[in-house]
Amino acid sequence: MEDDLPSEHDVIVIGTGMTESIIAAAASRIGKNVLHLDRNDYYGGLWASFNFEGFQKWVEECRTLKTPSDSVSKNKDLLKDNEILVSCGDQFSTVSNIQEQWHIPDFASAGDNQLSEVKEKDNNWDRSKVKDLSRKFNIDLAPKLLFSRGSLVDLLISSNIARYAEFRCVTRILTWFHDKLETVPCSRADVFSTKDVSVVEKRLLMQLLQLCAEYKPEGNEFKGFENKTFVDYLKSKDLTDSIMHYVLYAIAMGSENTPCMVGVEKAQKFLSSLGRYGNTPFLWPMYGSGELPQCFCRLCAVFGGVYHLKRSNNDIIISKEGDEAVCDGIISDGQRLKARHLVLSVPDAPKTFLQKTTATGISRGIFITNGSILPSEKESLTLLQFPVGKDREPITVIEVGPSTHACPNGLYIIHMTSKQYTNAVDDLKVAVEKLLNTDESDGLFDEAKQSPPRVLWSLYFNCPDTSKSDLSGSVPKNVYLTSGPDLDIDFEFAVKQAKEIFSKMYPTEEFLPRAPDPEELVLDDAEETKNESKEAETEKPDE
Amino acid sequence: MTKTYDYLFKLLLIGDSGVGKTSVLFRFSEDAFNTTFISTIGIDFKIRTIEMDGKRIKLQIWDTAGQERFRTITTAYYRGAMGIILVYDVTDAKTFENIKNWIRNIEENASADVEKILLGNKCELEDRRQVTKERGERLAVEHGIKFLETSAKTGANVEEAFLTLARDIKTKTEKKLEASNPPKGGAIQLKSVEQNRKPSSWFSKCSLL
Repeated sequence: MEDDLPSEHDVIVIGTGMTESIIAAAASRIGKNVLHLDRNDYYGGLWASFNFEGFQKWVEECRTLKTPSDSVSKNKDLLKDNEILVSCGDQFSTVSNIQEQWHIPDFASAGDNQLSEVKEKDNNWDRSKVKDLSRKFNIDLAPKLLFSRGSLVDLLISSNIARYAEFRCVTRILTWFHDKLETVPCSRADVFSTKDVSVVEKRLLMQLLQLCAEYKPEGNEFKGFENKTFVDYLKSKDLTDSIMHYVLYAIAMGSENTPCMVGVEKAQKFLSSLGRYGNTPFLWPMYGSGELPQCFCRLCAVFGGVYHLKRSNNDIIISKEGDEAVCDGIISDGQRLKARHLVLSVPDAPKTFLQKTTATGISRGIFITNGSILPSEKESLTLLQFPVGKDREPITVIEVGPSTHACPNGLYIIHMTSKQYTNAVDDLKVAVEKLLNTDESDGLFDEAKQSPPRVLWSLYFNCPDTSKSDLSGSVPKNVYLTSGPDLDIDFEFAVKQAKEIFSKMYPTEEFLPRAPDPEELVLDDAEETKNESKEAETEKPDE
Repeated sequence: MTKTYDYLFKLLLIGDSGVGKTSVLFRFSEDAFNTTFISTIGIDFKIRTIEMDGKRIKLQIWDTAGQERFRTITTAYYRGAMGIILVYDVTDAKTFENIKNWIRNIEENASADVEKILLGNKCELEDRRQVTKERGERLAVEHGIKFLETSAKTGANVEEAFLTLARDIKTKTEKKLEASNPPKGGAIQLKSVEQNRKPSSWFSKCSLL
């Protein structure tokens, strides 16, 4: 257990978020020697999922002011003459405006009567009951969905990493229209069966969606709208308000300012992902988005990558090669570790590496509720783009229930994410007020399900979004920075960034070729090669 | 496609580095023993289908991929596991003492009703033994789990260990089925073969309107 880490590596990766983990897996997969470190005792960094207790620990850590350790001066004697040392950044300092609140009482210390009333009835909740069920929660810092035909689904399948994860389909897409929630018909069957729109509207909607689905850049349909908004185009089509609303907010996931061609492309992407796995275009990872980085880490480890978490004191060794700065490796917990390439998540990056980086912000809200925002017979997995008016991007609302292992039976987790304008509380207020009941309560909710659902616990925070920023400006030439979670609903950005960084490190190598199935690995005594693998029984996928 | 089995059980191997997890796995899945494995590079999981009371049971047995070395096993590793094989090395007392930590780890991450079995491996190395059989038995009793001493090298008890665990899971599974309380289904695994409806175009089916 106490053995030292190997001292030379092709790639050292610091941070186990999505992008870093994809890069680590890709490098390990082609035989590179990878060391993957994280300062935390959990995987995922700002992409992690936690149980309830873990989540509270995270909140606590964000609130605790860190005194920077003076490892740089301590490690001076491990340096050569022309080298300098810079310390890694502190990820928790990047999370701000944290506001955590309980909306139900704590009966643990109160009279036995109330506690037993809470314990006896499934619908009643107090703080101690939520905490007791801590392990039943998987709460995401950065909840994201996967387009069924998006780049992450493709990558998971082509690399064979899909075998480490399971998913559920998002079962409905809602929209907020005329001050109430409506289910958006998005598949053909939905359009046909919906009672919310007239037959005439159905025909219009079908025609419009077909135009978007079949859009090709050389076509004529959208001529003249290249410099206009998607709304302008929709208006030109004589659509009713509700159809326009469905298409703009739910299907193109845009706002009134979305340019026409962006809207068309987004609608096309949405439509092309329909029907692969379910009636909506989206998948949600079981146990939360935080599982996915771990799947890539597992592949990295299977191909020999070495993992070490809880490794917090990392300094980066920099020397000059002519005019250019290069990184020789790191000093980690007093051990000098050489690396040809260093990959760093932005929160781990030294401040000097981020001089040319401009970050915008993300506003996040997480709510544990006693019901769905729109109750239905069966448990739903819901996506809603909540419109916030002309000048703002919509708020993304994802609601997950017990069948995804997000929370215990009887509860739901509601995630809200938006661009940061002021702070998380103010930015999300408009959606929270309409969709949730945040009043303080006694937690004795009885049988009747209320709508809007009661909030048991809420948390708001802001974190930076560096996905739009050029991260290569102030770094040594063999150091690559990865941004944290971005605002998009899916993982496309992380996959794209991982591919770009990988191809800078290994321009001629294949990115995550398919990993063999266990049946294909023939480990005969010693010298036999794997080429005989065809003889191994290859199992067909079940079902 | 028809299923080639009645039950699929996901099993995990857990224990310190060097106790012989991978060797136990290879003895069971390939009936082979190879002393040249130094660590678990490249081994993800192995599959062996067994027959028990007329049922075909597909055992999917996962190895730690070396992530046990610095205690960095992912929480994802534990998901959906129905049985866990805890392994220590009878010639290395430290690996035995660490079993307690691994059990705690399992309690934190695996499903509460996961079946477990404790194995004291390398029992053929009698002259180097540091952990008596009695200590192993006592620990197993303390945690209410079954115990066997195994030798991946000679094959002693390896088959029995897996079959014992499989039988316990089968009993539990069938009890749940009888109580018509089957585990929650509906999760999707992504596969390269399109298993669902043919998608092609949004409007590929006959026109409705």
